[in-house]
Amino acid sequence: MTNELKDILLQVERPARYVGGEFNLPDMQKQCKERVCMCFSDKYEIGMSNIGIRILYHMLNDMDDVVCERCFAPDLDLAKLLKEKNMPLFSIETKKDLKEFDLIGFSVQFELQYTNIAYMFDLANIPYYAKDRGEEFPLIVAGGPCSVNPMPYADFFDAILVGDGEVNLKQIVELHKELKDQHLTKEEFLKIAVDKVDGLYVPRFKNKTKRAIIQDLDKAYFPTKILVPNCAIVHDRSTIELFRGCANGCRFCQACFYYRPIRERKVDTLVEYAKRLMDSTGYEELSLSSLSTSDYSGLKELVDRIKKEADERKVKLAVPSLRLDSFEAEIYEELNGASLTFAPEAGTQRLRNVINKNISEENITSAIEGAMKNNVKNVKLYFMIGLPTETNEDLDGIAKIAKEVLWLHKKSGTSKIINITVSTSVFIPKPLTPFQWEKQITLEEMEAKQKYLQEALRIKNVRYNWHDAKTSYLEAVFARGDEKLMPAIIKAYEKGCVFDSWSECFDFDKWMEAFKECGINMDDYTGAIPEDKVLPWDVIDNGVTKAYLLKEKHLAYEGVTTPNCMGKCNGCGASKLGRCFE
Amino acid sequence: MIIVIKHVKAGDFSYVSHLDTMDVLHRTLKRAKIDVNYSQGFVKHMLTYATTPIPLGTQSVAEYYSVDCNNITPEEFLERFNENVPQDLRAVSAVAKPKNPNLAGNVTASDFLVKCKNIVPVEIEEIMDKDSYMIDLTKKGEIIQKDIRGMLFSIFVDGKNLWIRSATGNTNLRIDSFVKHLIKEYNIETTMNDITRLAQFVQLDGKFVGVDDYLKL
Repeated sequence: MTNELKDILLQVERPARYVGGEFNLPDMQKQCKERVCMCFSDKYEIGMSNIGIRILYHMLNDMDDVVCERCFAPDLDLAKLLKEKNMPLFSIETKKDLKEFDLIGFSVQFELQYTNIAYMFDLANIPYYAKDRGEEFPLIVAGGPCSVNPMPYADFFDAILVGDGEVNLKQIVELHKELKDQHLTKEEFLKIAVDKVDGLYVPRFKNKTKRAIIQDLDKAYFPTKILVPNCAIVHDRSTIELFRGCANGCRFCQACFYYRPIRERKVDTLVEYAKRLMDSTGYEELSLSSLSTSDYSGLKELVDRIKKEADERKVKLAVPSLRLDSFEAEIYEELNGASLTFAPEAGTQRLRNVINKNISEENITSAIEGAMKNNVKNVKLYFMIGLPTETNEDLDGIAKIAKEVLWLHKKSGTSKIINITVSTSVFIPKPLTPFQWEKQITLEEMEAKQKYLQEALRIKNVRYNWHDAKTSYLEAVFARGDEKLMPAIIKAYEKGCVFDSWSECFDFDKWMEAFKECGINMDDYTGAIPEDKVLPWDVIDNGVTKAYLLKEKHLAYEGVTTPNCMGKCNGCGASKLGRCFE
Repeated sequence: MIIVIKHVKAGDFSYVSHLDTMDVLHRTLKRAKIDVNYSQGFVKHMLTYATTPIPLGTQSVAEYYSVDCNNITPEEFLERFNENVPQDLRAVSAVAKPKNPNLAGNVTASDFLVKCKNIVPVEIEEIMDKDSYMIDLTKKGEIIQKDIRGMLFSIFVDGKNLWIRSATGNTNLRIDSFVKHLIKEYNIETTMNDITRLAQFVQLDGKFVGVDDYLKL
């Protein structure tokens, strides 16, 4: 580290985020032919919590002749100093200028991080548009969940990796390394890569792309000796991924459809991973992660076996993403939790049928009763507002559920006080969901609904939190956006928009100015879309077919639910990409 | 049984805060599979004890960390600890004590070496001849004037090196604040990262005794 950088780090908050030196750091001095920098367009504490980053970073460092470093979006104080001192953004491990890498990979997690891509490019002195970058710049690719519709930000990148990074990130790094001695131009390389790398979308070729898939998750790479950060991060624990995909088919949920086909890891494999992770990290907590953990076929056996190992090591188990319908009180009892989080998503059975949240009033009641028996003191309930066909009756239903929890608590006879937190987010029509053609409610409607709920939820021991309407609106614009939005991202960044998902940084007025100056009407992207219209993301084949999504949309309006596909395949189309859970 | 280790806090770790360092040390103990005793309260925590933290950015070769644990020799502890700790926090020695020596409460002074890029003016040593010495300190966001003379035990200048023994513990002089004052008043060229804590002391019968020796008593 240079003395200048040492001085700078002493002037910023939490400098530990930028120095590296974490335990289990791979060998950065090993002989390598390909040096990769993995960039994450948010802060260290967010990026280091991301299981995808953990997997891919260690996977690349375990490859022959490859070294992978990291770079996270620096906080504003460091960015200001770097600019003042005319110093470029650097990697954490060796403090290398990003331009000196052979390949840069960005993980783009959600729509409000788009300005952070511009921010990191700017700090690294890298031109925003791929077309403006000469051969002296590294090959820059992006992956992550936003690749479901990469169009708004695609022009930043030479290529977009669609699907499981364990497959196509490895392929592209391997190929880039192999062809390095041929000194190909980026265009020449991409012409070869587009045929050899699964799920590679090249914006300049506008090629039809089929998502890359791990066929056998149980045999897929999973690191068990992971970096242990030297400062607190958001999810400061080790994590094992039980399965990928989700069988429930909630009609608003992008992750459910994006991560299909459903693929599980075996219980034996997971127990082994858990033991190794607990031993190699020293973390006090281990999380059993997936989109819907209680749908894991071997959950009871897994919890029993891991709990024994965890108790010996004084490690706490965390089981997030439990569903009300499959909630097992005995599992919860094992974990001895003091708080419980449920997501009924809608207040009435009618609306839950519309969104295909296959849980009934009885499911909610019995799950809460089970939780009460286990002395749960905090209940968190998550809902969405602005869902298609929603009325005030559905909003009243949210308050009714909160009251039901209070009543069940009273009935249980416990003298302990219960705290209920009701949180609402705003429905955002997302690509690759049955609701991708739906409109988003207007800002005024969002605020009116939030105000309505504030009144309805004025109940003792119930707290109401709601998600900011303006960020939800902006997220909707980008979720279904097209290439025309890229100038607005850059314009907004130049006006000072960065870290838009952090409420203290979000400035909606600047965003509106940016869109106006680019001649774009934001409302054009949040309205209903005709079913026969060609969609910007149609070029990406994510597995689930448009015909299936459309069928699901129509069933939603009929109030007809589609069962969980664990028992019987519903024919969504994802199985054509790979083995689905049987 | 208490095992007291002496460890460094150097390089990258000089940028890690005290509280984060405590978390790193706890995880090190778990990785090393050391049988640490826990408190018996509602939220159980490891029974470990550190000495007064050094300011962010400064380094140390003399941090002490006491661990209430079972069935382990100091030698074995040292070996297992060092296999599982980041290099910049490695331990250099370990001793066993029947009970907690309460270093946080007993340590009263530290020696610091400040490496400078220019020759340090010998006039700095004259501070020790004064009855009082006022400097600006920041307290709760406000700048206050404070007489720190009583918190300085010795100052020695040797070319580009400045050696300071100052109060540590319940009465504590923040070495970074004092060095920043010297940069301003005496034009020394240095940074916080060039400050290293070399030793810590307890006072016995009015004399400073190094913690290493104190632990042998």
